[in-house]
Amino acid sequence: MECADTQKKLSAYIEGVISPEERMLVNEHLTSCQECSAFLADMRKTVEYVQKLEDIEPPPWLTQKVMENIKSEAKPKKGILQKLFYPLHIKLPIEAAAVFLIAVAVLYIFKTIQPEVKLTQIPLEEIKTQIPSKEKIPGFVETKPVPAQPAEKQLLAKKTEVTEKVAESPKAPLPVAKEDEARPSAGAVVKDESKTEVLSRAPRAKALAERKEEIFSLTINVKDIKTAIKEIEKVLIQLNGQIIKSESFENKEVITAKLDSKKLKELIDKLKLIGEVKEKDLEGLEGDIETRIEILKTSIQLQ
Amino acid sequence: MKEKEQRTEDEDAQRVSLCKNGDVDAFEVLVKKHQKRMLNIAYRMIGSYEDACEVVQDAFVSAFKNMQNFEERARFSSWLYTIVINLSRNRLKQLEIKSYREDSSLNDPVFTDESQITVEPASDEPSVLERLEKRDVQKKVQGCINSLDNESREVVVLRDIQGFSYDEISDMLKIPEGTVKSRLFRARYTLRDCLKRVMGDI
Repeated sequence: MECADTQKKLSAYIEGVISPEERMLVNEHLTSCQECSAFLADMRKTVEYVQKLEDIEPPPWLTQKVMENIKSEAKPKKGILQKLFYPLHIKLPIEAAAVFLIAVAVLYIFKTIQPEVKLTQIPLEEIKTQIPSKEKIPGFVETKPVPAQPAEKQLLAKKTEVTEKVAESPKAPLPVAKEDEARPSAGAVVKDESKTEVLSRAPRAKALAERKEEIFSLTINVKDIKTAIKEIEKVLIQLNGQIIKSESFENKEVITAKLDSKKLKELIDKLKLIGEVKEKDLEGLEGDIETRIEILKTSIQLQ
Repeated sequence: MKEKEQRTEDEDAQRVSLCKNGDVDAFEVLVKKHQKRMLNIAYRMIGSYEDACEVVQDAFVSAFKNMQNFEERARFSSWLYTIVINLSRNRLKQLEIKSYREDSSLNDPVFTDESQITVEPASDEPSVLERLEKRDVQKKVQGCINSLDNESREVVVLRDIQGFSYDEISDMLKIPEGTVKSRLFRARYTLRDCLKRVMGDI
């Protein structure tokens, strides 16, 4: 056996965990090799030094300290501090509560902005439905000169208001509201201010009127519609009526106004001065009535 | 010797049963019985007395907490010492992060903190000089042991210092006996070289 091999085996040799054959070989080598013998001595000494390391004594307080730690572990953790700082008892509940609060806050915010979200959508929707309906109805011509831009915007703004109110008052019928919007021209015939006023009041008035479901219709034949319109409107104002709308058709005009039923008789009398009025039944009418005045052009007929 | 070992094992087993049922006093008996050995294992592995004391405390607390997991068929001491070995390893890693170890760890401040250490007095009363010499040598030897890599150090401590059998060491370190032996033999060569460097002729 070579020196290198022998030296590798020396540890096992010392321990006695070497096979008999190898032991023999090592012995053989050792008898003749000074270096390896010295090495063996070194190895033995090394082990000796390590084995001779003295045991150290544990400090006297060690047992007591350990038992103190054990006992605090054994106790149920009812200490407030421990309860507070124990992660699962405090951290998780706090986190859970936080998540819950966030969820609640989000829902609350969402609910708060929900109505606004809905409302801003309605005008768009209604306008969209408007446009096709306008086109469908034949002869539905809008009489008006192009109103000033700001006025229009104002009206549009009012429209939104109106729609809001309409949306809020469930009884206000949609068709009524639609008609309103179909008439951005409102400003044409009557002054803008009064019209906008009327517009904002109209839905409510209409609501009232509709609730009572009473519309009083009148037909008047005139020679000149345009003049007649002016005159009729004057009359209505005189009688403290509220002109709700003015519609233009191919061969007639229709003015819808709100008027006290008591004034109806007067209205009819005055209308007779303007043109030929077809009488209508006045009985059984109470309060503010929605009056629908149809203005027709007299056809030139020789009777 | 084996008989004695067997008896202590049985005693341990008895006390373990008591502990499992919440008998804290039975655990105290176990603490008193095993603390010295545990401290020595920890100390020789870590090289710091203070850290070794802390590790031993932690080890006992850990053992108490996990008593329910201990299978009574197994040897309690092996199980207990495994805990202290693991905790010592962890502590060592923490310390190594703090200050890297160099080969010449003899200058390491760790070795000067021996004021707390009480050593078991030798049966024959050596002279002061002899005692000082001995202390000096022991410091150097411990220094060399500290300079070993962790794996080598473990087997040297358990085998040459604590005298555990290969079987027991294999059990504690969870490695095969063959590995224990090869690590040990390699470690001894390194130690020899180190001691020769440090002490001159050995």
